[in-house]
Formats: sequence, C-alpha cells, structure tokens
Amino acid sequence: MTDPAEHWLRSTRVAVVVGKGGVGSSTVAAAYALAAAREGADVLFVAVDGRPGMGPLLGGRELDQNDRILRRIKGAGQVRGRTIPADQAFGDYLELRGVGGMLRRAASAASLPMIAAATPGLEHLLVLGKIKELERDRAADLIIVDAPPAGHAAPFLRSASGLSDVVQSGPVRDQAVEVDAMLRDPARCQAMIVTLPEETPVTEAIELANELRGDVGLALMPLVINACWPERPGLTKTPAMAARSQKVTLSASAKASLASSSVFGRQRLERQHQQIDRIGSTLGLPMVTLPRLPTPRLTLHHLGVLADALVVPLVEPNAEAST
Amino acid sequence: MTTTENSSAPAGSFVSEVSSASLIVTCGPGGVGKTTTAAALGVAAARAGRRVVVVTVDPARRLADALGLDAGAASDAPHRVTGLPGIDTDEATGELWALMLDAASTFDRLVHEQTANQKQAEAILENPVYRAISGSLSGAQEYMAIERLHQLYTSGEWDLVIVDTPPSRHAIDLLEAPDRLIGFLSHPVYRTLTVGQRAFAKVTNAAASMFLWAVRRLAGPQIVEDTVEFFRSLANIEPGLRKRAGEVSVLLRSDAATFVVVSSPRAEAIGEAEHLIGALRDGDFPFAGVVINLIHPMPDPLTPADRAALADIGEGPLADHLSWHDELTDLAVSEREELAVLADLAEDVSVVELPLLAVDVHDVAGLVGLADQLVGGN
Repeated sequence: MTDPAEHWLRSTRVAVVVGKGGVGSSTVAAAYALAAAREGADVLFVAVDGRPGMGPLLGGRELDQNDRILRRIKGAGQVRGRTIPADQAFGDYLELRGVGGMLRRAASAASLPMIAAATPGLEHLLVLGKIKELERDRAADLIIVDAPPAGHAAPFLRSASGLSDVVQSGPVRDQAVEVDAMLRDPARCQAMIVTLPEETPVTEAIELANELRGDVGLALMPLVINACWPERPGLTKTPAMAARSQKVTLSASAKASLASSSVFGRQRLERQHQQIDRIGSTLGLPMVTLPRLPTPRLTLHHLGVLADALVVPLVEPNAEAST
Repeated sequence: MTTTENSSAPAGSFVSEVSSASLIVTCGPGGVGKTTTAAALGVAAARAGRRVVVVTVDPARRLADALGLDAGAASDAPHRVTGLPGIDTDEATGELWALMLDAASTFDRLVHEQTANQKQAEAILENPVYRAISGSLSGAQEYMAIERLHQLYTSGEWDLVIVDTPPSRHAIDLLEAPDRLIGFLSHPVYRTLTVGQRAFAKVTNAAASMFLWAVRRLAGPQIVEDTVEFFRSLANIEPGLRKRAGEVSVLLRSDAATFVVVSSPRAEAIGEAEHLIGALRDGDFPFAGVVINLIHPMPDPLTPADRAALADIGEGPLADHLSWHDELTDLAVSEREELAVLADLAEDVSVVELPLLAVDVHDVAGLVGLADQLVGGN
C-alpha cells in the first residue's frame, strides 16, 4: 500500500466527479468517499442535485442540506454528506456578503428563479461558490462533489467563466473570479471523469475531458472506467478447446450451454480492451478500472468492493500515448 | 409474424402507434438508448409508409452519423435519411427525416414568429441577457423540444413527428416546461417590469424595485438595464408564448399524441422510469408503453449432471468459461427480476424488451433491426 498522503485519491481538496448519464458517476463518487475515508481522510460528500438514495448507499440517512456523519471507519476517517440546493446557497451567499434584510427580502420577493433567469449560470455559480467556501474553511480533508448528471456537468463547471461575459461588476463577478481560481488550481480542485468501457461513453468522456481541460482549466484525476468485465483469458478458446487443455471431457450439453455465454463474453471483453486502449491513448491519462458488479441493485457491500478497486495501482496508458 | 392492435393485450409491440399516432414522445433516464429507440420507431413508421420526422437531442456520434446528421446548427432543419431498405423504391410512400434539436435557434424562431416585425425581433435577439439565457433558461431545452414538436406537427408536412427528450433525472420537468414558462411570465415582478414604463427608475412596485436593486447589487448596473430591456421586449411576445404553451399542453394530452418510456434493467434507471410512468398517468398523458433496452442475454442453463461433472475443475481456461457462465446467468436473472417490477407497473400497455447488442447501433441496418423488434411483438 502506498503512503496514504501520497495516494492520488488524496491529491486535491475538492474532487468533482463527472460523467454522462448512466455511467454510474454517483456510485463511483460514493465509492471514492469510502476509499478515502478508509485511508484516514475526513471526507465530505456533496450531492449537487440531491439524487435520492446516496446517503443510504453510504450507510447513513438520506442526504439533506445539513452536514451529517454517514459513516465512521474504525481507526481511520469518516464520510459526511450533504446536499447544496441552489436556493440555500443563495441565502448563505447573501448572509456572507452581510447584505442581510433588504436584499434577502428582495430575493424572496423576486424568487431565485427570477434572479437566476436574469443572471444565467448564477445557480451553478452559487453552488460552486458554496463549495469554494467549504474548501477555504477546510470543512473536510477532501470534498467529493457528485456533479449534475448528463449534459449538465460541463455547463455547471463552466458557469464561472461563462458568467463573466454577462456580468461585468459586482459581487457575482467577484464570486465568479474566485470560483474560477479554485477550478484552475490542481492543489485545490480536480475533476474525476467516469466512463464505461463502451464506444459511446468513451467518445463522450473524451469530449468532456477536452472541454474541462480546455475551457474550464480543470486538472484531471486518473480516469475511472466503471463496470469492466473481469478478465477471463480462457474465453478466447472455445469451451471444447478449454476443456481439452484442462484434460476434462465435456458433454455435448455442457459445451452448448457454456458456448451460449462465451460468445457474448468474448465479444464484450474484446470491445472493452479496444475502448480502454482508445481512451488511454487519446487522453494520455492513467486509468483505474472498476469491476462490473453482478447485480442491478447496489448495496453497502458492493460499494466496499468498488472502494477496494479504487486503491489498486493505476493502469498507465499505452506506450504510443500522446503526452 | 402477426401482431394485434388491441391495446388491452400486452402485445409487446408499438405497431399501432407507429401506424396511427401523429406524435410520439420518447422519454426516460440518460444512457438507456432513448434516442436510438426514437430513431428506430421512426424507421418502423417510415417502413409502414408514413412520412416521419425524428427530432433528436444530443445524439451519440455514431447514431448521428447513421442518421446523416452533422454536429452543429446546420442539422436543425429536417434532413432526409437515406439507405432505408424497402422505402427507397418508387412504389413506397414512406420517408424518414431527422433533425438535431438546437434549443437556442428554436427559441430564435419562436421570437421571429411571435413578433410583429423584424425590428421587434432584433431587439430581443440582440439583447445580451436573451443571448445568454435562450439556451440555458431553466427548462428551456425541454420546453424547446416540445416547441419544435408543435412547429413540426402544425406544419402539416408530416404524418408522424417523433420527439426524443433531453435526459432528465426529473423527467417530469419536460411535461411541466410549458406551465413553468407560464408561471415565469405570470410572476408579479415580471408583470411589473413589463407594463410599459420607459425606464426602470419608474418602477414603483415594491417587489420589482427590490428585485432590480438585488440584481444591481449582485451583478452590477449593466445587467439591470439589459434585464429590464429583455423583460420589456419579451412582453411583446408574451401573449403568443402563453397561447403556445396552452396549445402544447392540450396537444400532448390529445389522442394524436402518445408517450413511450425507455429504460434499462438497472435499478436506478427503473426507479426513474417508475417515477415517470406515475407522472404520465397523473398528468393524463397518453401512454403507449415501455421499452426496456440493454438487457443481458440469458445463457442456456447447465444440467445438474454437467454441473456435477464440472464441480472440481480447478483453475484454467475451462474454469473461466464456467465462472463467466455463472456470472452472466446471475446478472441476467437479477435483471429479469427488476424487469418484472416495471412490467407489473406498465399494466395493460406494451412492454418491449431489447437485448444489449455487442456493438452500438451505428448504421441504418442496425436501426432496421431494432425497428423490427419494436413493431414485431415478442
């Protein structure tokens, strides 16, 4: 085991976990929180859009806007969790600026949607601003942000730079500048991109990586390739050949039923290798592969399996990788 | 293969929808093949002799290629999909067209339609606040998917319009988008700002002036000017927007329209699909059925005798085959348990199950294969 403080899991203070819909980025974010807590970190898990079920998955109550301990790891760290709803971030923001009564009444009279519509990207910025405050106050050793899903991750992270086109002065601009500074400092904030070893998710992850590195200026952590089938080199042989090499005689019925799974398995493993090679060599980033769990419904136990898999040595991209 | 149009039987087919509906909306969580399903329904309808247009939102690259769509705004206009077997002949009447939704340019088109003249339209289109929010206003993309559907439906050019929706964790957003826009326009602050004063300094309503004060305080004076100007110019088109939102709301609940929910067998996706089905039923939206995509194949079981013979094979290539067989079987079994939940929930509507394919659909032939399964019954 590596020195915990040196481990890449602990290489930044805010880790934003992002991925297109359906790749399991929320689950990976939760597994990451557990893995870092096992390494001794006091981890704060922040769910941006309050997806249900994340608190129980981590062993605690459903998340809300109160910072609560979800799980203590004996002799190590702990996982806390909370959500950051945009309206609360707004209230906290007003509080922080000391603008109090008048502005708060204005805010509630006008309602956040109105102000947000007038100031595009404001909701996202306020949430990022709140995360920035937590980071500055060292609210935890590691803050893991379960970013909004699907196509919303990039706009979320771009809100700081995007807002400055429209807003030329005032506290919102200051907030945007400060958030932008955090996003561009790898010691403070990095992004973890999650994808699947399949063609479309890999293509989308490559686009997302280029967008985050380019426009947003975020440093990227190792790529997480989720839901990989375990390596089974024996599947490259037919069941009959495999039986011969183990000096076993297979009945015709056993051959047929093993063949009914092995053709599919061989194809999936081939595609998986191709896609992992493709994303590794295109982005030139180290990778970690997580096993596909043989269940459609995850439990605390499964999360532990994923957390274990996050701390194994990284897979370096192929030699022909661009630098 | 024979199919039935009797919707009370869970026929596992969308044959009646593709041959008689005028609008189909596909919805569901992200990453389940929703856009592919929308395209395959379009293929099925074109092959049934209808003139169909499929509106996609952010299609995967390979699927966009299959439909002949280029990434970029140029795809916002319908584009004929070629190479469909059975409909590129002289006697065939079916046609498949596709386009990629561009929320910002749909909003622009709406502004042009709803304004009296070019000058009024430009006042809105050139406003910095409008430019910034037209693509990102909360619910704008969902609303624009519906708006585009309405434009295409009322143009009279199409037998069937199929609209894919943005993946939404709270997929109900889509259905509420028109109401949300109306809610926005009815807001007292908005109303005050849009009742004709020439300068915001004259705004006397307390809530509105506080709103302006708050925006100025937070974001600086320039944005206040732009915001007020934007709300003012939007006021010109508000009656039109309001009327349109009402029409769309009625259209989506009419006999012409129907909704198809797409899911995968993963528990999170199924949870979202359940929620969506409930929302469709509560909102009295016509609901055609469920497509469950990406299902793992079920291996043929090993006989007890074969299993006993393989009990002590140790390590090696055959052990890989055996453990893989068991793992795939476990996964396939648990997926089918999840599916049963959704099938129960679907009650009397169609449920079509589609297998996980070895390769993503990347050409028209792949869509034809899916289309056959969607209308063939199984």
